[in-house]
Amino acid sequence: MKWSISKYLFIFVLLPLMSLNAQVRDSSRVYQSVVKESHYDKRVHRYRKNWEAVIPNIVKVQYAGNMGMFSAGVGWDYGKRRQWETDLYFGFIPPHSSGKTKMTMTLKQDYIPWSIQLKPSVAIEPLATGLYLNTVFGDEFWTHEPERYPKGYYQFSSRVRIHVYLGQRVSFNVHTTDFWSFARNITLFYEVSSYDLMIASAVSNHYLKPKDYLSLSVGAKFLLF
Amino acid sequence: MRKVIFISVQLLILSCLCACDLFDYHPYDVKITGDRDVNRNNCNLIESACQEKDTLRFAVMGDTQRWYDETQDFVNVINKRSDIDFVIHGGDISDFGVTDEMLLQRDIMNGLNVPYVVLIGNHDCLGTGLEAYKKIFGPLNFSFIAGHIKFVCLNTNAMEYDYSEPVPNLTFIEDESKADSTKFDKTVVCMHSRPYCEQFNNNVAKAFEYYIRMLPGLQFCTVAHDHRLSVEQYFNDGIVYYGSDRISNRDYLLFTITPNGYSYEVVYF
Repeated sequence: MKWSISKYLFIFVLLPLMSLNAQVRDSSRVYQSVVKESHYDKRVHRYRKNWEAVIPNIVKVQYAGNMGMFSAGVGWDYGKRRQWETDLYFGFIPPHSSGKTKMTMTLKQDYIPWSIQLKPSVAIEPLATGLYLNTVFGDEFWTHEPERYPKGYYQFSSRVRIHVYLGQRVSFNVHTTDFWSFARNITLFYEVSSYDLMIASAVSNHYLKPKDYLSLSVGAKFLLF
Repeated sequence: MRKVIFISVQLLILSCLCACDLFDYHPYDVKITGDRDVNRNNCNLIESACQEKDTLRFAVMGDTQRWYDETQDFVNVINKRSDIDFVIHGGDISDFGVTDEMLLQRDIMNGLNVPYVVLIGNHDCLGTGLEAYKKIFGPLNFSFIAGHIKFVCLNTNAMEYDYSEPVPNLTFIEDESKADSTKFDKTVVCMHSRPYCEQFNNNVAKAFEYYIRMLPGLQFCTVAHDHRLSVEQYFNDGIVYYGSDRISNRDYLLFTITPNGYSYEVVYF
């Protein structure tokens, strides 16, 4: 056997075997770290752990809802029963009769008080509620009035809207062993929402009917992990 | 997994079919349903209906923003009368420039038995309001001839443009004084913001007055915006500006122009 071949054989076959053997022998004993974890290591571990907590574990897509035609975003769930969700969406408004497509961004806070298991893999959430802040990008929209106006001239922001919604959901567990699966749970939802300006109009006008101030949206939530 | 996707697609299609107009993309989505170019169509109606008339009677109101109930009441009140030729809405048909506001108000005004025109107000310029206004109602400066009287309707909301466009458009006024000059001998000028209010380009207020006085037989001007009834002269030159109230105060101005002159009254409802 040439040295070059036996060298690779040693590295790839014998070394792992030896280490495995060592592990088997050591498994009955308490593992003793040779190197003491330094303060630096602890800090790095803590740093990684903290940042892991902000990795979004939800992906959502939504159609309509006064936050864009289609919106997609990421989210986080938390709470004892994972009853809280916070999402950040980006969406777009098609040009229609205006000259251009507009981008939107939405920060959404959801509260899902109950989840009822119907089958081992199917659950319904009879109530989902929450509010969302939507902002639309473009020079024609402002948060504070431009300087050309006297102070307090319009007293509202054309850029930021506050929406409230009520909705329902149904969720399905997915076999993560499936070739195509990228989530372990998929939830379908619909929401009925309204926003600040329309609520203000609806309160003071009998003329406005629910179809004038309510808006419907549908969407899907993918629970990644 | 495939089943889930199948069900979800089915649900989506089903819900779309059930309630298409309930899916709203955004308050500033300029999606226009129903009538467009309302002013031009109604101007044609007014012109053909009033062609032979030597006496005109028309109502002037405005600032209907977010007062849908009162606007509906106004429409009902006008429909009970049979002596009115048309209605002039002095602008601010919306409060926030939201497309749905304009569509809702247009649908209320469409209930009128007589034609109407809507001027551009400063609130209608907010957000995508201008784009929506242009599609729903038409150009910002326009005119029509009823009987032998020309009505020149002007955009005077200069502050909304930050001097990026000529507002008021003096060239338009000059052109209107010459166009179709054989068809009219009197003129009425309608606008949303009056001279010397904060919206007006007051640097050209006197020039504006100079130009509108070039219009043949200028009778008077109508304004809105101030949310109060007013009868004022701003240049002490005999040209009276009549201000209409906001619609929530439940009144409107009624003008009658005869071959010998004109009169006006305030009608409360």
